[in-house]
Amino acid sequence: MDETFINSYRSPQLSDNWLLNVNPLNKINIYVALGLITIFFQHWQVNVAITFLFVLLAIAAGRFKNFIGPFLKLGLVIGPFFFIVRAIFWPGENLIFNYGIINITQEGIDLGIQYATIMLVVCGILVLCTVTIKAEDLTYSLEQIGVPHNVSFMILSSLQLIIDLKDKTKVIMDSQRSRGIETEGNVFVRIKAFVPVLSPLFLGAISGAEEKTIAMDARAFSSANPNTHLRFLRPAPGMEKILVLAVDLLILGLIIMGVVL
Amino acid sequence: MSYMELKNVTYRYPLAEQDALKNINYHFEQGKLYGIIGENGGGKTTFCDLMKGLIPSFYGGDLTGEVFIKGKEIRDWESSELASSIGYIFQNPFTQISGIKETVFEEIALGLENLGVEREEIIERVTNVVKQLKIEHLIKNNPNKLSGGQRQRVAFASIIAMETDILVIDEPTSQLDPKGTSDIFEIIHLLKEQGKTILLVEHKIDLIAEYADEVLVIKQGELITSGKTSEVFSNVELLNEGVNIPQIALLSNDMKEHGKPFETFAITKSQAREQILKKGSEKICQ
Ligand SMILES: Nc1ncnc2c1ncn2[C@@H]1O[C@H](COP(=O)(O)OP(=O)(O)O)[C@@H](O)[C@H]1O
Ligand SMILES: [Mg+2]
Repeated sequence: MDETFINSYRSPQLSDNWLLNVNPLNKINIYVALGLITIFFQHWQVNVAITFLFVLLAIAAGRFKNFIGPFLKLGLVIGPFFFIVRAIFWPGENLIFNYGIINITQEGIDLGIQYATIMLVVCGILVLCTVTIKAEDLTYSLEQIGVPHNVSFMILSSLQLIIDLKDKTKVIMDSQRSRGIETEGNVFVRIKAFVPVLSPLFLGAISGAEEKTIAMDARAFSSANPNTHLRFLRPAPGMEKILVLAVDLLILGLIIMGVVL
Repeated sequence: MSYMELKNVTYRYPLAEQDALKNINYHFEQGKLYGIIGENGGGKTTFCDLMKGLIPSFYGGDLTGEVFIKGKEIRDWESSELASSIGYIFQNPFTQISGIKETVFEEIALGLENLGVEREEIIERVTNVVKQLKIEHLIKNNPNKLSGGQRQRVAFASIIAMETDILVIDEPTSQLDPKGTSDIFEIIHLLKEQGKTILLVEHKIDLIAEYADEVLVIKQGELITSGKTSEVFSNVELLNEGVNIPQIALLSNDMKEHGKPFETFAITKSQAREQILKKGSEKICQ
C-alpha cells in the first residue's frame, strides 16, 4: 500500500506554491479587497489594472492555464453584454447615434466601458477563486471559524451535483446523437436537443436524493459528536496574517483617499 | 431477551392502500446471518428499512407492534445512535458514495469523521479495512469516477470501517458480475466470522443456502416461512410460492422421492458432495 500517500494525511495539506497555500478565507479576502477598489475609483483604467493584477495572481499561483480559458469565456460574454445594454439605452447630452429606441450617447459609452470593465473584475474574482481554492479546503476553513458541518456538506454536494448533471447530460446527449438526433449547430438546434434531456435528468436527481439521504444517515451524518477531520490545513502563518492585514489596510487607505479627494 | 426482535409488526407507507409488512414476528440472535428472500415488491427492502430504524422516523406511515434492537424499542433510539450501531448497505452503489470527497481513502474515512474519531485512529481503521477488502489500489482514486463494482466495494468499506455490530445489506450484488459477487460474499463471510449480526437480502439463492444460518421468506408483506436454512429449503412446496430453491435442494428432494434419500438433506454443493461420497462408499461395502 502507498504509505507516502497515507502519511500525507498526517500533516497539513500543502502544495509547493506559496499563493496556493494561503488560507482560503485569506485568499478570498485579498481578491475581494482588490475588487472593492473599483467601486471607489470608478475609472475604467483602474478596473483594467486590477483585472490585470488578477491575471498576474493566476500566473503566480501556477494556474494561468486553468484561469485564462474560463475567464475569457465568462468575461467576453458578460463584459460586452453590459457594455451594449448601457451604451445603447443610456440617455445623455452628447448624442452620437439615434434610431428608434436605440440611443447612443457619449455618456452611455463611457458608462458602458465602466460597467464592462467592472464585470471583468468580478469575473476575475470568481474564476480566480475557483482555480486557486479547493472547495473542500474552503469548507474546512469555514468550519474552523464555526460554520456548521451540514453547511459544508450542502456546499460540497451542490458542487458535485453540478458536475454529475453535466456528466449525465453529456451521456444523454451522446446517446441522442448516436440515434441521429441533431445536437450540434445553432442555438435553436441545441436548445431543441437539450429540452427532452431535462426531465430524465432532474427526475434522476430527485429520485436519487432520498436514497442519498439514507446513505449519508448510515454514515453518521446526524451524529451528535463534534466531527473530526482527516484532511486538514495549517493555521495561517503569522506572515500571512500580516500580509492580509497590510493589503486590507492599504486598500482601506486608498478608498478613504479616493472618497476624500 | 433476544438481540433483535419483532413483535406483531405491521407497517403501511403513507397514502398506501395496503400494508407493506403484515403482522411479522421474529427474533434474531447475535452473530448469525439471516437471509431474506422473496419475490420483488414483497417487502424485503421495507423490512431492511424497518430494521435500520428508518421506519417510521424517515418514511412516516403507520407502524404497529414493537421492534427491539439490542433490547431497546426502535422508537426510543436516537437516530444518531442507530447509525453507530447498525450499518446499512444497499443495492445502488451510485447513491452510496458521498460525492464530497476526492479520494477513496477520504470517502471511507467520512463516517468516522462524523462519529468524531481522532485522526490517527481514522487512518488506522481505514487502512485496515482497505487491506481487508483488497482495495489498496483504489485509495488514491476519485470515488466519483469508479465503476459500479468498485463503488460497491468502497460502500462496503465505508460502512465496515464504522465497526457496527449489526449490518443490514440489501441486494449488494445486483449490479455485479460473478467475480464481483464472489468478492462481496468473501467480505460478508469475513464479517460473519468477526461476529457481526447480518441481515442479507439476496436473490442468488445458492449463496443464501451456503452462507445464511436462517432464512426468512417474505411474500406480499407476510413472513410466509422462516427458520434454519436447511429446513426452509427442504420444503420444495416453496416453489409454488414463487420462491427460488437451490438446485441442490431439488436434487436432494428428487433422491428422496426416488426412495434413495441422502442421510441429511443437502442444500449446498459441498453438502451434496459429502452425501454422494458416503453413498458411494456404502455401495462398496455392501
Ligand atoms: N417509499 C414507499 N412509499 C410507498 N410505498 C412503497 C415505498 N417503498 C416501497 N413501497 C411499496 O411497498 C411494497 C414493498 O416494497 P419493497 O419493500 O421495496 O419490496 P422488495 O424490496 O421486496 O422488492 C411494494 O408494494 C412497494 O410498492
Ligand atoms: Mg428491494
